[in-house]
Amino acid sequence: MDLALFSFGATGWGDELLAGLDLTLRLAVTSILTGTALGLVSALGEVAPVPLLGRLLETVNMVLRSVPELLVIFLIYYGAAIALAALLAPFGIAGLFEINRFWSGVLALALIHAAYASEVFRGAFLAVPVGEIDAARAFGMSPVLVFSRIRLPLAFRLAMPGLTNLVMTTLKSTPLVSAIGLQDLIRVAGDAGQNTKEYFQFYMATLVIYLGIAAVVLLLQSRSEHRLYRHLRTR
Amino acid sequence: MLMDAATLLDYLPVLLAGAVITLELTLFTLIGGLIIALPIAFARNAERPGPRWFAQSFVFFFRGAPLLVVLYLVYYGLPQIPGIKESPVWFLIARPMPIAILALSLNSAGFLTEIIAGALRNVPAGEIEAARAFGLSRLQTFARIIAPNATRLALRAYGNEAVFVLKGTAVVNFITITDLVGAANQVYFNTFDPFTPLFAAGAFYLVIVFAMLQLVRWAERRLNPWAFAAPSRERHR
Repeated sequence: MDLALFSFGATGWGDELLAGLDLTLRLAVTSILTGTALGLVSALGEVAPVPLLGRLLETVNMVLRSVPELLVIFLIYYGAAIALAALLAPFGIAGLFEINRFWSGVLALALIHAAYASEVFRGAFLAVPVGEIDAARAFGMSPVLVFSRIRLPLAFRLAMPGLTNLVMTTLKSTPLVSAIGLQDLIRVAGDAGQNTKEYFQFYMATLVIYLGIAAVVLLLQSRSEHRLYRHLRTR
Repeated sequence: MLMDAATLLDYLPVLLAGAVITLELTLFTLIGGLIIALPIAFARNAERPGPRWFAQSFVFFFRGAPLLVVLYLVYYGLPQIPGIKESPVWFLIARPMPIAILALSLNSAGFLTEIIAGALRNVPAGEIEAARAFGLSRLQTFARIIAPNATRLALRAYGNEAVFVLKGTAVVNFITITDLVGAANQVYFNTFDPFTPLFAAGAFYLVIVFAMLQLVRWAERRLNPWAFAAPSRERHR
């Protein structure tokens, strides 16, 4: 391993890789937070007693879970500009639109994350003991109060392990956004490899960084579960 | 208009050629993943710490690494191994398809190892003891009791993993292979209509996923005939 390759400044690739890592992390965090929120909303729509809404959301989520991430990324990156142009054409605004790559990537990853998170949240909401909800109602809690104090906290606790797994999945999908030209970690590592012909070292460094992030996520998971389930511990 | 019938008809052969590549990659990866994962699953359950440690590292490595990183490492890393270009294996791996299948198989094997090892561990101990008490040899016990039981236990998870393999094959676009996504992309560059090819490709993927899940359901019926023989009392759930 040649450490000079990873130094900062004009000769090394350290600063470029750091910028790539910054983009990857911003993309991952934004997609995961947006996706989890969307997934929660979608799960509520799926369990809500509204005819057709549940079916519709289920179908959309099922499709998003069945097609490759890359397909969704391309569809949003190419499609959003055309959809926007078609939408604005009646108002006399014509022209070519360039959709921001970063937000295209975020939207695609967030939608896929939401499709899986919705499944996790739905299972969690259905697993909340009916007795607890009955008890809350018997105490005279309004539906809003039952939701915010009983159903949501309990469901969230049940959903936690599934949600952390999804964090890992989405994190591992982030390199796919380099297909629409985002200068993320793997793209920078590829450029560095092309320049120096040391592909193996740079991709190995990328791998180590991703495994390091995975280890941190796993550590946070065990920490948060320790906290969330502290009332269930014997001591 | 989201779907254009004329475009679809014109470019259907392109999309079909891409679908064939996607199906090939999926099939070979499923086989390759199984070949790699089976011995490691046994190592994962071994009593000696050495093999167990190796299997656990393998699983952590390939489950934690993004598929694209693994693919790039194999694609760019293998040619850098000294002497490999003179060795006979080079003839086999100098093309992108075998490299893609190798990388996809390694990635899938990381997940499959856990599925298979878990299924093997969960075969009821009483059944194994009973088989041993009947005088079945270790090999017979494995072939008649452990293997069928574990297959039943692993089937559902294996079906889900197969869907992930199918979705994962799309990364081959990064190493110049034109699969179903790549074909849709080509049609877009020729027509500037992203919706027709990408929706058509999506429909193809849905059909393949449905076929896979149907196959798993059929296998489940075959392997657990008693569970489907009489109407279950828990039907209304």
